[in-house]
Amino acid sequence: MGKRRVPDVDLLDLIDAVQSVADGMLFGTTYALLGIGFTLVFGVMHKINLSYAAASIGAAYASLLILAGVKAPAPVVFLMAAVAGGVIGAVVYLVAFKFIPLANPLATLMSTVGLLLLIDEIIVHATAGVPLNYPALFSDVLIRMGPFSLRGDLMFVFLLGCLCMAGLLYLLYRTRLGLATRAVSQQPVAAQLCGIGITNVNVQTFVITGVVGGIAGAMTGAAIGMLSPLLSLPLTVKGLIVTVIGGLGSIPGAIVAGLLVGGLENAFQFLRGVSERDLYIMLLLFAFLVFRPGGIFATAPGRE
Amino acid sequence: MLSRYAALAASVAAIATFALATPASAQERTVKITGFGAKSGVVRVFGINSEAALKAAAEEINKAGGVTLGDGSKAKFVIEFLDDRCNAEEGISVVRRIASSDAFVAVGPTCSNVAESLFGILQKKVGDASDTGLQFPIIADVAAKGGLAKISEWAFRNVPSEFEMYKSLFAWLKTQHPTLKTIYGGVEKDFAHSNATYNVMKDQAGLNGFQVLGTAEWLLNDTTFSTQVRDMKRAGADIVAISAHPFTTCGVLKEMERQGVKPKLLIGLTSSSSIETLQGCAKQAEGIIIPTSFAPVTSEAKKAADDVAKFGGSADLHSAAAYEIMFILKDVIEQQKIMGKADTVAADRVKMREGLAALKETKGLLGKVGRTADREAIKPFLYVHAKDGSWQVLFKPAS
Repeated sequence: MGKRRVPDVDLLDLIDAVQSVADGMLFGTTYALLGIGFTLVFGVMHKINLSYAAASIGAAYASLLILAGVKAPAPVVFLMAAVAGGVIGAVVYLVAFKFIPLANPLATLMSTVGLLLLIDEIIVHATAGVPLNYPALFSDVLIRMGPFSLRGDLMFVFLLGCLCMAGLLYLLYRTRLGLATRAVSQQPVAAQLCGIGITNVNVQTFVITGVVGGIAGAMTGAAIGMLSPLLSLPLTVKGLIVTVIGGLGSIPGAIVAGLLVGGLENAFQFLRGVSERDLYIMLLLFAFLVFRPGGIFATAPGRE
Repeated sequence: MLSRYAALAASVAAIATFALATPASAQERTVKITGFGAKSGVVRVFGINSEAALKAAAEEINKAGGVTLGDGSKAKFVIEFLDDRCNAEEGISVVRRIASSDAFVAVGPTCSNVAESLFGILQKKVGDASDTGLQFPIIADVAAKGGLAKISEWAFRNVPSEFEMYKSLFAWLKTQHPTLKTIYGGVEKDFAHSNATYNVMKDQAGLNGFQVLGTAEWLLNDTTFSTQVRDMKRAGADIVAISAHPFTTCGVLKEMERQGVKPKLLIGLTSSSSIETLQGCAKQAEGIIIPTSFAPVTSEAKKAADDVAKFGGSADLHSAAAYEIMFILKDVIEQQKIMGKADTVAADRVKMREGLAALKETKGLLGKVGRTADREAIKPFLYVHAKDGSWQVLFKPAS
């Protein structure tokens, strides 16, 4: 598809543009879920877990592996992905964080890069890199609204994503675990003095983000209809972009940024074609880093 | 007491067996053929299939007595397969490693970008003293981008000509479906093979009177195709031709199904006539027509497919080429009287290159394979289509 010229846009183009943005925003739910995972770990430990998207896809693959030979319904597959995500989350903490000197910011960055590549290669070796079908719910449903339509499977992904976000917000702001997590995030020493076990909180955070990641991986598979190891790297990049645009540590920011990036990605695809699409998303990232480094919901714009 | 005697007897028997077996084993010679390709990363399946095909063919040759070397002795083939990760630098490094051993030929690689760079480090023209490029024959089984063997006189390919395949396919479509007039293309923009083949498809469609209404573009690891498919829907073309590998081919086909895009005919990329496409989207791919140089339609091809499966691979147009290469190498070793010894390596490499260059025709699994002056293959091919979850032969053009 070649580049379009904006002045040539007619009514059909306009309808297509709106539809593209709507599709992108719905798919952006998966970016939002990944962004939440990145942001939660950063919020608690002030570290970036670069293996998060690969672990999420790994969890989705694991759900297929666990249920291999069983004709399990889609919700069971999704549930299994969430469980596998939690387990992988704990393993990621043990391998890439627990025994790594946290004082050195590069050490955990490198360990999670290593883990990203390792998880990717495990997937490739387990599946020979062959794309696998992934079940979806409501894939045959199309909600029509005049000239527009919304995919039932993407609507489900969107609603499930919203539920996950609501659940996480409840967990963080209405439970003791959430209180402990926020305490460790804000004042780790004071939290420890109050009797909060930092390691426990960290493990729990990784398990929870792993569960969210498992759901994100499953929803990505459901939205595309397939899983492939090709997904790990681009989703890692998207997750990081969403985290930066949403503001490191901000869950509402990650949600809005996920939808924004998904919508803009399709808008740029529509307007400028595939060869320039990612360029504009990267420019957006740099614009945020320079002009609004705290992200969308930063209280005071500016740079330190 | 009895058990002591039994143990003693067993020991004597074992020693005697070993003593008798040793001279015979020492006489048995082996010729190592090294294959290389992607065995990690997202194209790992290609490497697995190539390795399995090389091993299956080697076993077949070995069962029939092996290969006769220049001194008249018989040798058995041994296969080694190295991973180049579909990475040009890695591919060059792997081949330099192979060339530093006693090997007189290598088989590979998987990816066209690796082949393109790799063939570039070989001596361009044989006998050119000013060219210090590597003098080592390589025969490619998978790398599909057209015309790669032209890069060096040490480079050979047993890869089907996609130009010939799509030229034939579009000419056939014109006669079989005269009512179909328009075509809309789809291409994986960041993959060399997909791009090159799409240009062939587009050109051949135009030459056969089809009007190309537009092209949808996407990237190898894209996840959403709604914008591209919406354009495709608006164009309303009779034929949709997709030049992409299974992951995005399936992604696009699934999006086409969601948006109700139902062209009268679907055409796919040669590499997508594989089990991967059927695993990913058998339902949506139903009816897609793809030209291929392999299908288990002859007794040899059926046997090859079964043998490759025994070694954990799948026979497709790429791995079938690897299978055929082993028989080509056997013939060249015998014709050129290659010695296969450590002190004849340089001479053996020259003989292998000359033998491969002199070939006018080889035996393929679907029939005779012609050889061109620029060291490419002219392979017989047929059209397959996805039907009821498997690839079935649709038509076999006259060779």
